[in-house]
Amino acid sequence: MANPDVENGIMGRVAYARIGPNEDLVQGVEKLCLARGFRNAFVRGALGSLVDACLYTRDGRYTHIAGPAVEIVSLAGEVRAQADGSLSASLSGVVADPQGHVHGGPFVPGANPICMTFEITLEEWLPHPAPDPS
Amino acid sequence: MRYTTVDRSLRVIQAPPRPRTLIHPGAFNPVRIHSRCARQGRHVRLSLRPGASLHEAIVLELARAGIANASMTILGGAFRHIDYCTAPPDPRHRMVVAYTEPIPAGAAYLIFGNATLGKTAEGDPLIHCHAAFCRDGEPPLGGHLIPQTTIVGDIPVPVLVTALEGFELRALYDSETNIRLLQPQGGEHGEP
Repeated sequence: MANPDVENGIMGRVAYARIGPNEDLVQGVEKLCLARGFRNAFVRGALGSLVDACLYTRDGRYTHIAGPAVEIVSLAGEVRAQADGSLSASLSGVVADPQGHVHGGPFVPGANPICMTFEITLEEWLPHPAPDPS
Repeated sequence: MRYTTVDRSLRVIQAPPRPRTLIHPGAFNPVRIHSRCARQGRHVRLSLRPGASLHEAIVLELARAGIANASMTILGGAFRHIDYCTAPPDPRHRMVVAYTEPIPAGAAYLIFGNATLGKTAEGDPLIHCHAAFCRDGEPPLGGHLIPQTTIVGDIPVPVLVTALEGFELRALYDSETNIRLLQPQGGEHGEP
Protein backbone atom coordinates (compact mmCIF):
# COMPACT_ATOMS: atom_id res chain seq x y z
CA MET A 1 0.00 0.00 0.00
CA ALA A 2 1.36 3.43 -0.93
CA ASN A 3 2.64 5.62 1.88
CA PRO A 4 0.89 9.00 1.58
CA ASP A 5 3.80 10.66 3.38
CA VAL A 6 6.29 9.66 0.70
CA GLU A 7 6.23 11.15 -2.78
CA ASN A 8 8.57 9.43 -5.21
CA GLY A 9 9.97 11.29 -8.15
CA ILE A 10 13.07 12.45 -9.95
CA MET A 11 14.90 15.73 -10.37
CA GLY A 12 14.46 17.49 -13.72
CA ARG A 13 15.80 20.75 -15.08
CA VAL A 14 17.81 23.40 -13.20
CA ALA A 15 16.93 27.10 -13.50
CA TYR A 16 19.01 30.07 -12.38
CA ALA A 17 17.50 33.54 -12.20
CA ARG A 18 18.33 37.05 -11.24
CA ILE A 19 15.17 38.77 -10.01
CA GLY A 20 15.19 42.57 -10.08
CA PRO A 21 14.61 45.24 -7.44
CA ASN A 22 11.16 45.88 -5.94
CA GLU A 23 9.84 42.48 -7.05
CA ASP A 24 8.38 40.30 -4.31
CA LEU A 25 10.61 37.44 -3.20
CA VAL A 26 7.95 34.72 -2.90
CA GLN A 27 5.88 35.65 -5.93
CA GLY A 28 9.07 36.24 -7.92
CA VAL A 29 10.05 32.61 -7.35
CA GLU A 30 6.56 31.50 -8.42
CA LYS A 31 6.85 33.63 -11.59
CA LEU A 32 10.25 32.09 -12.35
CA CYS A 33 8.49 28.70 -12.32
CA LEU A 34 5.85 30.08 -14.70
CA ALA A 35 8.59 31.42 -16.99
CA ARG A 36 10.34 28.05 -17.06
CA GLY A 37 7.31 25.76 -17.04
CA PHE A 38 8.17 24.22 -13.66
CA ARG A 39 5.20 22.85 -11.69
CA ASN A 40 7.13 21.59 -8.67
CA ALA A 41 10.64 22.61 -7.62
CA PHE A 42 13.10 22.78 -4.74
CA VAL A 43 15.39 25.69 -3.91
CA ARG A 44 19.02 24.65 -4.43
CA GLY A 45 20.64 27.97 -3.55
CA ALA A 46 19.66 31.59 -3.08
CA LEU A 47 21.15 34.88 -1.96
CA GLY A 48 20.39 38.55 -2.34
CA SER A 49 18.93 41.50 -0.51
CA LEU A 50 15.51 42.82 0.55
CA VAL A 51 14.30 46.37 1.15
CA ASP A 52 12.75 45.19 4.45
CA ALA A 53 11.96 41.62 5.51
CA CYS A 54 8.67 40.27 6.81
CA LEU A 55 8.60 36.81 8.41
CA TYR A 56 5.75 34.85 9.97
CA THR A 57 5.90 34.18 13.69
CA ARG A 58 4.76 30.84 15.10
CA ASP A 59 1.53 32.33 16.44
CA GLY A 60 0.51 33.69 13.04
CA ARG A 61 1.73 37.26 13.48
CA TYR A 62 4.55 38.97 11.57
CA THR A 63 8.10 40.05 12.34
CA HIS A 64 9.19 43.15 10.44
CA ILE A 65 12.95 43.62 9.96
CA ALA A 66 13.76 47.10 8.75
CA GLY A 67 16.32 47.79 6.04
CA PRO A 68 17.54 48.63 3.58
CA ALA A 69 19.19 46.35 2.95
CA VAL A 70 18.27 43.12 4.70
CA GLU A 71 20.59 40.45 3.31
CA ILE A 72 19.22 36.98 2.57
CA VAL A 73 21.79 34.70 4.13
CA SER A 74 20.18 31.36 3.45
CA LEU A 75 16.93 30.11 2.04
CA ALA A 76 15.21 26.75 1.81
CA GLY A 77 11.88 25.95 0.26
CA GLU A 78 9.82 24.53 -2.51
CA VAL A 79 7.24 25.39 -5.11
CA ARG A 80 4.17 23.17 -5.44
CA ALA A 81 1.39 23.08 -8.01
CA GLN A 82 -1.98 23.49 -6.30
CA ALA A 83 -5.27 21.76 -7.06
CA ASP A 84 -6.86 25.12 -7.97
CA GLY A 85 -4.42 25.63 -10.87
CA SER A 86 -2.05 27.97 -9.03
CA LEU A 87 1.58 27.65 -7.97
CA SER A 88 2.62 28.23 -4.39
CA ALA A 89 6.14 28.83 -3.12
CA SER A 90 6.88 28.18 0.56
CA LEU A 91 10.18 29.80 1.46
CA SER A 92 11.88 29.87 4.84
CA GLY A 93 15.19 31.44 5.60
CA VAL A 94 17.67 33.45 7.60
CA VAL A 95 18.26 37.16 7.00
CA ALA A 96 20.78 39.67 8.34
CA ASP A 97 19.74 43.26 9.09
CA PRO A 98 21.93 46.32 8.33
CA GLN A 99 23.71 45.79 11.67
CA GLY A 100 24.51 42.14 10.82
CA HIS A 101 22.04 40.68 13.35
CA VAL A 102 20.30 37.55 12.08
CA HIS A 103 16.61 36.66 12.11
CA GLY A 104 14.78 33.66 10.70
CA GLY A 105 11.40 32.32 9.70
CA PRO A 106 9.00 31.80 6.79
CA PHE A 107 8.81 34.68 4.30
CA VAL A 108 5.39 36.35 4.03
CA PRO A 109 4.20 36.40 0.38
CA GLY A 110 3.82 39.93 -0.97
CA ALA A 111 5.76 41.57 1.87
CA ASN A 112 9.43 41.00 0.96
CA PRO A 113 10.47 43.38 -1.84
CA ILE A 114 13.91 42.74 -3.35
CA CYS A 115 16.40 45.57 -2.79
CA MET A 116 19.25 45.22 -5.36
CA THR A 117 19.12 41.69 -6.69
CA PHE A 118 18.07 38.17 -5.79
CA GLU A 119 19.82 35.12 -7.23
CA ILE A 120 18.08 31.78 -7.06
CA THR A 121 18.70 28.28 -8.36
CA LEU A 122 15.70 25.95 -8.56
CA GLU A 123 15.75 22.26 -9.36
CA GLU A 124 12.59 20.91 -10.94
CA TRP A 125 10.85 18.07 -9.07
CA LEU A 126 8.96 15.56 -11.20
CA PRO A 127 6.77 13.39 -8.96
CA HIS A 128 5.95 9.89 -10.16
CA PRO A 129 2.22 9.51 -10.83
CA ALA A 130 0.34 8.21 -7.80
CA PRO A 131 -0.34 4.43 -8.08
CA ASP A 132 -3.81 3.40 -9.14
CA PRO A 133 -5.64 2.44 -5.90
CA SER A 134 -7.50 -0.37 -7.73
CA MET B 1 16.22 61.80 -5.37
CA ARG B 2 15.00 60.50 -2.01
CA TYR B 3 16.77 57.82 0.00
CA THR B 4 15.54 56.06 3.05
CA THR B 5 17.33 55.96 6.36
CA VAL B 6 17.87 52.85 8.45
CA ASP B 7 15.06 52.15 10.89
CA ARG B 8 16.63 50.08 13.67
CA SER B 9 13.33 48.72 14.92
CA LEU B 10 12.40 45.07 14.92
CA ARG B 11 8.69 44.76 15.42
CA VAL B 12 6.18 41.97 15.88
CA ILE B 13 2.99 43.21 14.26
CA GLN B 14 -0.58 42.01 13.70
CA ALA B 15 -0.82 42.62 9.93
CA PRO B 16 1.86 42.47 7.25
CA PRO B 17 3.26 45.92 6.41
CA ARG B 18 2.81 47.45 3.02
CA PRO B 19 6.04 46.73 1.07
CA ARG B 20 8.16 49.77 0.20
CA THR B 21 9.05 50.47 -3.45
CA LEU B 22 12.48 52.11 -3.54
CA ILE B 23 13.54 54.56 -6.23
CA HIS B 24 16.75 53.39 -7.89
CA PRO B 25 19.12 55.76 -9.69
CA GLY B 26 18.73 54.26 -13.17
CA ALA B 27 15.88 53.65 -15.56
CA PHE B 28 13.44 50.86 -14.71
CA ASN B 29 14.20 47.68 -16.68
CA PRO B 30 10.90 46.23 -17.89
CA VAL B 31 12.34 42.70 -17.75
CA ARG B 32 12.25 41.78 -14.06
CA ILE B 33 13.32 38.12 -14.16
CA HIS B 34 16.44 37.13 -16.10
CA SER B 35 16.70 33.37 -16.19
CA ARG B 36 18.37 30.44 -17.88
CA CYS B 37 17.66 26.73 -17.68
CA ALA B 38 19.83 23.61 -17.93
CA ARG B 39 18.45 20.23 -18.92
CA GLN B 40 19.79 18.63 -15.75
CA GLY B 41 21.73 19.54 -12.63
CA ARG B 42 25.19 18.18 -11.97
CA HIS B 43 26.01 17.94 -8.29
CA VAL B 44 29.40 17.83 -6.62
CA ARG B 45 30.39 17.56 -2.96
CA LEU B 46 33.32 19.89 -2.44
CA SER B 47 35.56 20.01 0.65
CA LEU B 48 37.02 23.45 1.30
CA ARG B 49 40.77 23.07 1.88
CA PRO B 50 42.04 24.03 5.36
CA GLY B 51 44.04 27.24 5.36
CA ALA B 52 42.90 28.36 1.91
CA SER B 53 40.85 31.49 1.27
CA LEU B 54 37.19 30.86 0.54
CA HIS B 55 37.81 32.18 -2.98
CA GLU B 56 40.68 29.84 -3.86
CA ALA B 57 39.16 26.85 -2.05
CA ILE B 58 36.11 27.08 -4.31
CA VAL B 59 37.56 28.40 -7.57
CA LEU B 60 40.62 26.14 -7.90
CA GLU B 61 38.90 22.88 -7.07
CA LEU B 62 35.80 23.54 -9.17
CA ALA B 63 37.99 24.59 -12.12
CA ARG B 64 39.70 21.17 -11.86
CA ALA B 65 36.23 19.59 -11.94
CA GLY B 66 35.40 21.60 -15.07
CA ILE B 67 32.86 23.82 -13.29
CA ALA B 68 32.92 27.57 -14.00
CA ASN B 69 29.37 28.50 -12.94
CA ALA B 70 27.61 27.10 -9.91
CA SER B 71 25.22 27.62 -7.05
CA MET B 72 26.46 26.36 -3.69
CA THR B 73 25.33 25.64 -0.15
CA ILE B 74 28.13 25.84 2.40
CA LEU B 75 27.15 23.31 5.05
CA GLY B 76 29.01 24.83 7.97
CA GLY B 77 32.37 24.58 9.67
CA ALA B 78 35.06 26.46 11.56
CA PHE B 79 36.91 29.30 9.85
CA ARG B 80 40.25 30.72 10.90
CA HIS B 81 39.11 34.21 9.91
CA ILE B 82 35.95 35.77 8.48
CA ASP B 83 35.68 39.22 6.90
CA TYR B 84 32.17 40.40 6.09
CA CYS B 85 30.19 43.52 5.29
CA THR B 86 26.60 44.70 5.33
CA ALA B 87 24.72 47.00 2.94
CA PRO B 88 23.19 50.07 4.60
CA PRO B 89 21.95 53.10 2.60
CA ASP B 90 24.69 54.62 0.45
CA PRO B 91 25.82 57.86 2.15
CA ARG B 92 26.98 59.21 -1.23
CA HIS B 93 23.61 58.41 -2.85
CA ARG B 94 25.15 56.68 -5.88
CA MET B 95 23.05 53.60 -5.21
CA VAL B 96 20.17 52.76 -2.88
CA VAL B 97 22.57 50.82 -0.63
CA ALA B 98 26.34 50.26 -0.62
CA TYR B 99 28.60 47.73 1.04
CA THR B 100 30.39 48.85 4.19
CA GLU B 101 34.14 48.51 4.51
CA PRO B 102 35.12 44.91 5.42
CA ILE B 103 34.39 44.11 9.07
CA PRO B 104 36.82 41.57 10.60
CA ALA B 105 34.95 38.94 12.61
CA GLY B 106 38.14 36.98 13.34
CA ALA B 107 37.89 33.26 14.09
CA ALA B 108 34.26 32.17 13.75
CA TYR B 109 32.06 29.18 13.03
CA LEU B 110 30.22 29.48 9.73
CA ILE B 111 26.71 28.15 10.46
CA PHE B 112 25.71 27.90 6.81
CA GLY B 113 25.81 29.99 3.72
CA ASN B 114 25.00 30.25 0.06
CA ALA B 115 27.43 31.17 -2.69
CA THR B 116 27.38 31.68 -6.44
CA LEU B 117 30.37 31.07 -8.72
CA GLY B 118 30.47 33.17 -11.88
CA LYS B 119 32.82 35.49 -13.71
CA THR B 120 33.70 39.17 -13.60
CA ALA B 121 33.06 41.24 -16.72
CA GLU B 122 36.73 40.60 -17.59
CA GLY B 123 36.28 36.82 -17.31
CA ASP B 124 37.98 36.17 -13.96
CA PRO B 125 36.31 33.84 -11.42
CA LEU B 126 33.98 35.60 -8.98
CA ILE B 127 32.34 34.33 -5.78
CA HIS B 128 29.26 36.00 -4.29
CA CYS B 129 28.68 34.60 -0.79
CA HIS B 130 26.23 35.35 2.01
CA ALA B 131 26.47 33.45 5.30
CA ALA B 132 25.56 33.33 8.97
CA PHE B 133 28.33 32.79 11.50
CA CYS B 134 29.03 33.05 15.20
CA ARG B 135 31.96 33.73 17.46
CA ASP B 136 32.39 31.92 20.76
CA GLY B 137 29.89 33.16 23.32
CA GLU B 138 28.34 35.78 21.05
CA PRO B 139 25.02 35.98 19.14
CA PRO B 140 25.15 34.92 15.49
CA LEU B 141 25.80 37.48 12.77
CA GLY B 142 25.30 37.44 9.02
CA GLY B 143 26.13 39.29 5.85
CA HIS B 144 28.17 39.37 2.67
CA LEU B 145 31.48 37.51 3.09
CA ILE B 146 34.72 38.74 1.54
CA PRO B 147 35.91 35.52 -0.17
CA GLN B 148 39.52 36.64 -0.73
CA THR B 149 40.25 37.28 2.96
CA THR B 150 37.97 34.73 4.61
CA ILE B 151 40.17 31.75 5.57
CA VAL B 152 39.03 28.14 6.06
CA GLY B 153 39.87 26.60 9.46
CA ASP B 154 41.73 23.36 10.24
CA ILE B 155 38.99 20.93 9.17
CA PRO B 156 37.62 20.72 5.60
CA VAL B 157 34.23 22.41 5.23
CA PRO B 158 31.67 20.55 3.04
CA VAL B 159 29.86 22.33 0.22
CA LEU B 160 27.04 21.04 -1.98
CA VAL B 161 27.62 22.36 -5.50
CA THR B 162 24.99 22.54 -8.22
CA ALA B 163 26.88 23.15 -11.47
CA LEU B 164 25.16 25.42 -14.00
CA GLU B 165 25.93 24.25 -17.52
CA GLY B 166 24.94 25.55 -20.92
CA PHE B 167 25.07 29.22 -19.89
CA GLU B 168 27.28 31.43 -17.74
CA LEU B 169 26.98 33.99 -14.97
CA ARG B 170 28.69 37.35 -15.50
CA ALA B 171 28.94 40.34 -13.17
CA LEU B 172 27.75 43.02 -15.56
CA TYR B 173 26.85 46.65 -14.97
CA ASP B 174 23.17 47.08 -14.20
CA SER B 175 22.11 50.62 -15.01
CA GLU B 176 18.92 50.48 -12.91
CA THR B 177 20.76 49.82 -9.61
CA ASN B 178 24.11 51.36 -10.70
CA ILE B 179 26.17 48.34 -9.63
CA ARG B 180 27.73 45.30 -11.24
CA LEU B 181 25.80 42.16 -10.41
CA LEU B 182 25.70 38.56 -11.56
CA GLN B 183 23.43 37.94 -14.51
CA PRO B 184 22.89 34.81 -16.61
CA GLN B 185 24.27 35.09 -20.14
CA GLY B 186 24.44 33.00 -23.31
CA GLY B 187 22.90 29.62 -24.04
CA GLU B 188 19.34 29.12 -25.19
CA HIS B 189 19.62 29.94 -28.88
CA GLY B 190 22.25 32.64 -28.37
CA GLU B 191 20.13 35.00 -26.27
CA PRO B 192 22.21 37.87 -24.84
